[in-house]
Amino acid sequence: MKLIEALEIVRRSGSAASSSRIFLACGITPLHLQTFLAAELFLAEPSKRIEMRTGLFGDLAGNLERFNADGVDHLAVALEWSDIDPRLGSRSLGGWRESQMPSIVETSQMSLARLKHAIVAASAKVPTVVSPPSLPLPPMFTCPRTVMSSYEGQLRSAVASFIEQLANEPGVSVVNAQYVDERSPLLSRYDLKAELSSGFPYSLQHAAVVGKAFADLIRLSAPKKGLITDLDDTLWKGILGDDGIEGISWDLEHHSQIHGMYQQVLASLASAGVLVAVASKNDAPVVQEAFKKRNLLLSEGDIYPNEAHWGRKSESVARILKTWNVGADSVVFVDDSPMELAEVRSAFPHLECIAFPKGDDQAVWEMLKRLRDLFGKSPATEEDKLRATSIRQAESWREMGSFPEADADNFLKTADAHITFHANAGSSDRRAFELVNKTNQFNLNGRRFSEGEWRELLKAPTAFLVTASYTDRFGPLGKIAVIAGRTSGRTMHIDTWVMSCRAFSRRIEQQCLRHLFETFGADDIVFDYVPTPRNGPLREFLVGLVESPLMPELRLSKSHFLAKMPPLFHVVEESVHV
Amino acid sequence: MSERETRLMRCFAAVFPELSPEEIRNVSSRQTGHWDSLSVVTLTSLVQEEFDIEVEPEAIPDLNSFDAFRAYVENACCRSSQL
Repeated sequence: MKLIEALEIVRRSGSAASSSRIFLACGITPLHLQTFLAAELFLAEPSKRIEMRTGLFGDLAGNLERFNADGVDHLAVALEWSDIDPRLGSRSLGGWRESQMPSIVETSQMSLARLKHAIVAASAKVPTVVSPPSLPLPPMFTCPRTVMSSYEGQLRSAVASFIEQLANEPGVSVVNAQYVDERSPLLSRYDLKAELSSGFPYSLQHAAVVGKAFADLIRLSAPKKGLITDLDDTLWKGILGDDGIEGISWDLEHHSQIHGMYQQVLASLASAGVLVAVASKNDAPVVQEAFKKRNLLLSEGDIYPNEAHWGRKSESVARILKTWNVGADSVVFVDDSPMELAEVRSAFPHLECIAFPKGDDQAVWEMLKRLRDLFGKSPATEEDKLRATSIRQAESWREMGSFPEADADNFLKTADAHITFHANAGSSDRRAFELVNKTNQFNLNGRRFSEGEWRELLKAPTAFLVTASYTDRFGPLGKIAVIAGRTSGRTMHIDTWVMSCRAFSRRIEQQCLRHLFETFGADDIVFDYVPTPRNGPLREFLVGLVESPLMPELRLSKSHFLAKMPPLFHVVEESVHV
Repeated sequence: MSERETRLMRCFAAVFPELSPEEIRNVSSRQTGHWDSLSVVTLTSLVQEEFDIEVEPEAIPDLNSFDAFRAYVENACCRSSQL
């Protein structure tokens, strides 16, 4: 992005109705970094105008220590070497004598400890993103630049340790140096003339990259949920039907190592909770035999379902999406055949179709990086890891949906279901925040929240947050429901209610309402219901529960609910976060 | 209006969005309350990026109007085309 484009975008953002409030903390003049960050944030979320505040020049630590989180949604910290010790920048003439080096290292270590303390304290109040020093160090060391001096090693080691500690903090996201390295060449990052004249050391190109990195971390897009892969010349090199089981490969010996790397990435994604399925035109028994006889890096257990037949790929994709119960826009399809990609794309325009670049290892490498970006989330929660297993179990539950009422009761009675309600976990519950922002079907109003907005909502004195975890004899589902709202006397206002589609047909939604009525001693619950194109399951549930037409501020009395409540067989436990 | 002047107008409009094209042509450090050190730094960066020229720090104090920027850009572009 050019500076003029960024300025024009920022000007357009002024008319947006709501706002996103950012505090940019830096010791340099914020100047164009501020502009690029505001422009990128507006592009990512055009419904919000960007309000940016900054601190004092040359005092990053002080800016952080004085930071007041009121009215701020996100904190962005742009750290540079001169913030660690002014002698590491060009505007100070404090000396670069050999004898001063121990003092520079010592001051830097103390500064980093102070900065870490201030950043951690701020991140407890608002989500915080940090960009590590990205400029080259000045020519301050006595040895030739080809040699890493001991002092430079100590400085870099201190910063690496600082970054590693921040990366482990729950409220902090650190810009990955490799991301910046790939987009901004080191030699063209630094603008000495601008630093000396205005205190802004970044070239425009570098400021654009750092601004984009900040914006990407502040507005992390929802990760995709599932990947459907082809087999021949994609998961492995070769055509199973022609080359036979022994003829397919993914190793150095057969010049097909890149297919092994693709398998390795898929196995890694599966282990982090991404759903992985196969859609292949092949004979199913041969495919099963290949998975059994050959030692793939992606095991058969990582894949569900495995659609191998000679029908159309779009039919396979339709069945897989139904089994997973996720929308096409949450899924990626990978195939080496342009024809198959086109056929699937025409049936599912919102599904992301990616060509596996046959015979071009470097292009596959780039594709693997793209997959990481599409599915990237940090860190994977226990619930993510349970997802694939629970989808297999969901088949028997889906069948239960068509049972007569008495049979359904019997099935549920023998399920040995346990629900644990967690109250008052607050905004530190990452899983609750994620679930609210990715659930579509059982979602009261489809409302999404930034991390700052979520924290703000739960800060209110009358606010409540209840989450539910579920397990039965088929296995655990983890945390699957989130209810948030406000209490007003004996009335509860539910502003947010989501439940994972994996948890349907278990009467968990009824148990949630019963729990709210009993635990909070409420007489009425008012739902902030808004129909969305995708919240049909929630709508059907409410239609079966209330007599009035569905509308915003939908009210349900306790007596009416108890009259309508079906038999519930769960063992209910409570866990209160103190 | 020359193509170069149109591009310079766009740079000024990005920094002074509230000014009309006519007002931009007449803008100077004496005529608008919006002209400050920040707008000069931003204009300088925009002009360097847009015309791929270097603005010398010593020249910045004299870049105090649209006309001054136009003259500087004309000179700098002519110099670079002669190289």
